[in-house]
Formats: sequence, C-alpha cells, structure tokens
Amino acid sequence: MPTATSVERSGRTAVVRLRGDVVVPTARHVYGTLRALCRRRDVKKVVLDFGEVGKLDSSGVAVIELMKRAMRQRGAELELDHLEQHHEAALELAPPQQAKQPPASDGPTWLEGIGARVLEVADTLRGLARLVGDTVKQGWLVTTRRRRVPQGSIGDHILEMGADAVFIVGLLSFLLGMTIAFQGAVQLQKFGASVFVADMVGWSMVREFAPLITAIVLTGRTGAAIAAELGTMRVGSEIDALTTMGVSPIRFLVVPRLAALTFVQPALTLMAMFIGIAGGLLVAALMLDLSPATFWTHIVYRVKIGDFAQGLGKSLVFAWIIGVTACHLGMRAIGDASSVGRATTRTVVVSIFMIVVVDAIFATIITIARTH
Amino acid sequence: MSESLLQCIDVSVGYDKPVLERVNLEIESGEIVALLGGSGCGKSTLLRTCCGLVPPLDGDVRLFGQSLYELPPDSRNPLLRRIGVAFQQDALFSSMTIEDNVALPLRELTKLPAPIIREMVRMRLELVGIGDLARRMPANVSGGQRKRAALARASILDPEIIFADEPTAGLDPVVATEIDATLVKFREALGSTIVVVSHELESIRATADRAIMLADGSVAAIGTIDELQHSQDRAVYEFFHARAG
Repeated sequence: MPTATSVERSGRTAVVRLRGDVVVPTARHVYGTLRALCRRRDVKKVVLDFGEVGKLDSSGVAVIELMKRAMRQRGAELELDHLEQHHEAALELAPPQQAKQPPASDGPTWLEGIGARVLEVADTLRGLARLVGDTVKQGWLVTTRRRRVPQGSIGDHILEMGADAVFIVGLLSFLLGMTIAFQGAVQLQKFGASVFVADMVGWSMVREFAPLITAIVLTGRTGAAIAAELGTMRVGSEIDALTTMGVSPIRFLVVPRLAALTFVQPALTLMAMFIGIAGGLLVAALMLDLSPATFWTHIVYRVKIGDFAQGLGKSLVFAWIIGVTACHLGMRAIGDASSVGRATTRTVVVSIFMIVVVDAIFATIITIARTH
Repeated sequence: MSESLLQCIDVSVGYDKPVLERVNLEIESGEIVALLGGSGCGKSTLLRTCCGLVPPLDGDVRLFGQSLYELPPDSRNPLLRRIGVAFQQDALFSSMTIEDNVALPLRELTKLPAPIIREMVRMRLELVGIGDLARRMPANVSGGQRKRAALARASILDPEIIFADEPTAGLDPVVATEIDATLVKFREALGSTIVVVSHELESIRATADRAIMLADGSVAAIGTIDELQHSQDRAVYEFFHARAG
C-alpha cells in the first residue's frame, strides 16, 4: 500500500500524517516530504503521526533517524505519535545513539609518503634478495642430493611451461622473422643489397627478438600462472602449512619452477631463433628472388656461435627475472582473492619492464665491448 | 493460521548422488528453525537447495507458495530478493569495504537515495555490533566480525526469510550469544523467518522454536529442542547425548 502524507500546521508545529506502508518503495517520498519540512526555519517541531501506518521497515526507520538528527542539528524536535507495537519493534533496529565516527586523519605528508615508498621498495628488494639467496641455497642442496624436490615436479613443470608454449612461440617467431625481412627488403632493394636481408634477419632474431619474444610470451603464460598459483597457496595457508611441517617452501615450490624455467626458456628461444630465420627465408625467397641456399649460406657465414651464446645467455637471465618475480610476488599475496589478482598483474608488468631494461643494458654493454 | 513460506516436498538433495532423500518439511512465517545434524549429513546442501543454489535431484521446493526450480530465472529472481542468505564462509566481496558489501543489495535493487542507504547500513552494522568497522576491508577484520557483516548484508533488505549457515561456528561464547540475540531481534523487528544451520546446542536452545534433525540420509526428527532431546531415535539420541556428555 503506497504512503500518502498530509501536513497540518499549528503555529511552529507541523503534524505529518502518514498513511500506508513506510517501506523501501515509499521511503523516498517520505524522506522528500520530511526534508522539505526540516529546511523550514519557521518549523520548530515536527510530529509524525503513525496512526494509519501499516508496515515500517528498515528504510523507514533510517528516514526517521536521519530526520531526527537533522532536526536536532538545527535545534528542532521530531516526535513520533500513535506508534503501534510493531512500529516500536522496528524502531529498535536503530542504535540508541549515533555511532562514534573514527577520528578524521590528516593523512601522511608528502615527505612521509616518499619515506614510506622508499621503505616499501627497500623491503621488496630485501625480500627479493632473500628469495634468490634461499633459492640458490636450496638449489645447491638439491643438486648435491642432500635434499629432494617433489618427485617428477621439474618434469611436469617443463611439460606445462614448455610443450604448451611451443606453438605460440613458434608462430610469433615465424611472423616476426617475416616482418623483419619485409621491412628490410623494401629498404635494401633500393641499394641493390637484397642479399643482406639474411644478415639482418639472422642477427636480429638470434641476438634480440627470439629471446625477447619468448620472454614476453612466457611472462604472460608462465609468470602469471606461477604468481596466481603461489598467491592462491599463500591465501589458502598452504605455504604456512609447509613451513610448520618444517618443509622449505622455497625448495618445494620455487626450485622446481625455476629449474624448469631455466631449461624451458633457452630451449624455446633456440627454437624461436631458427623458426624466425625460416620466416625471413620465406619472404626473401618469395619477394627478393633470393634462393634458400644463398640465404642460408649468408646466415651460416655471418651469424656466429657468439651470437647464439649472447641470445641464449640473455634468455637465461630473462628466465630468472620471470621466475623470481612471479615467485616473489605470488608468495607475498596476503589476505584475499584480490591480492592474487594484483600479484598476477604486477608479475606481468614488472617482469616485462625488467626484461626490457636488462635487454637495453645488455645491448649497451655488448656494443661498447665490440667497439673497443 | 500461519502460512508456509517454505516447503520441501519429497526432496532429494546432493551433487552427484543424493545425500538426503525424501525430505518433507514446512517452515512457517515468523518462526526460527534450526537444521541440525552431524558433519556431512547434508544440512548446508539442503539450505543451498532451499535458497535456489543447488537444484534438487528430485522433489519440489516451494518458496512463498511457488515451485522455485520450475520458474524461469526471470521469475525466480523476485522470489530470491525476498530472502537473505548468510553463508558459512561469509562470501563478502574482498575488494569492497564492509559498508559497501552491506550496501550492495540496496544500491543494486532499490532506488533509495544515498543518505537513506548510508543510514540503513550504519544502523544495521550497529545492530550487529560492528559499526566502527564500516570502512575496513573484509581481509582486515576477524572471522567473527566477517560473519556479522555477512549477517548484516543478508538482512539489509528486511527479507521475509533469512538463511544462516553456521552463523556462530568458531566464535567465542560472548560473540555467539550476541549473534543469537541479533537473530531473535531480526525476527522481532523485521518479522523475518529464520532458518539456521548450526551445531551449537546452546545457541539453538536460545533461539530456535523448532529443530529439524537430519541423519542417515533423511529427516530423523522434527520438533522443539526438548522434544528432540527426549527422542528415542538412535541418531537423534546420540547427537544430543554425545554432546551433553
């Protein structure tokens, strides 16, 4: 039954007669009427007549509480009249007095903000260093057979991280090789130097793009999966359970994953190098009338073992960046499901950022070393 | 005469195979009913079936006089808005503050102005005793406080039936007593019917008008706590006297 309101004035007193239910669908209307009255300076007392009110629910009680406070603030009064027993029962839902509001905080100053950020970064670096140290130590214990990782775990991780990524890494490398050849062909043809497309594809794939594209794919697939898995284990207290059992979570969880990544990343990178070159070879053969034999001879002649070593060395570093970042952020997830999501996102962002930074550092050092 | 708000007619519940079979029960307006039974007897599954989450393997669940699982989803939702459920694992949204969790049904399902919503949330949080935790995230409060927040959210729309799955499990006796009192207050102030799954006999004694004992894959007994305590049924006797002793 909808609420109807009628207002009668008697001097500085307003009597509001409510009719019907004061419930969620009608509370808005009652609130509007009472708020308008509350704003009038010539009204010092409002009497709410409940004589014809049916049901009163929480929203109605909330309206009355809001109005009581508003009237009190401007030195006026709200009186409830003809309340029935069920109205009084509903009004018991309102707390006896206003809850204490937490004291307003001014928030940290900019200097405190910088300090907190510095401490946070220092804490993260300390945590990372501890994780790397513990991993090396536990890895050494496993290598020297003084401790064991769970049986078959490294093999399972290699299959999961490696075999499932072969198609996507292969496809992307092939397309990347083709793209480099296309771009180079257009420019080199102008100078009659089409044959150097082979050098360009070979060097760029082996030194740069194969390690980089493999690392980016593995960050998105494997790094995110590791962070989500370890984060969920942290939130579900599984990591705490390992610790209380006296089992090192680093040896049980981190070492097998890092060992698998250490194997998978260079293997996929090596595959990406050759598939990328194949993509370039296809474009050279179709667009530049360069025979596959000529293209391949150039590759063999120009791309040295040292170039492969450079690419594979970088891929090893990238593997550890992905693994350590994912394990570190995953194991730091605290509290709830959203922290697992945050850990996963941060793993992808931080890993790709670090990979690009480290790649730039490698490029600079190697270029300087070659020119001297 | 009281009206049946919830009826289970020859209901079998479970996921792959039935854990409870041929359950027949009626819950009337304004009563507090406890579902009792040992671990794994199907109490929570029955509760989830009654509130539209797990379809029965057989039989009919009638909510407010309508066959819940025969209705299309669009017709089922208005019925489900008349109930409130406090889950065993509280089910609060971890990315929202406590007050946003409690306000969610009001913001999604009503057109109430923001000041009324804020006031309703404040009142309800005060009522369940966590008024000062409104701005906290669920991860930053205790298990008991989360259960209270879940109860506040379940009751914020003044539902006709409140289902509470083990609302006092794992809480200290003082807090458990306060939650029991809150459930009774919901019945008195909102006129809500309350269906509670619980193991706590003291808690059930303090709140429930009737109890439904589940054992051996079906309803073993229905009655007041006193009647159940003096039941000659083996499972009921063991349940009460193992705890009493």
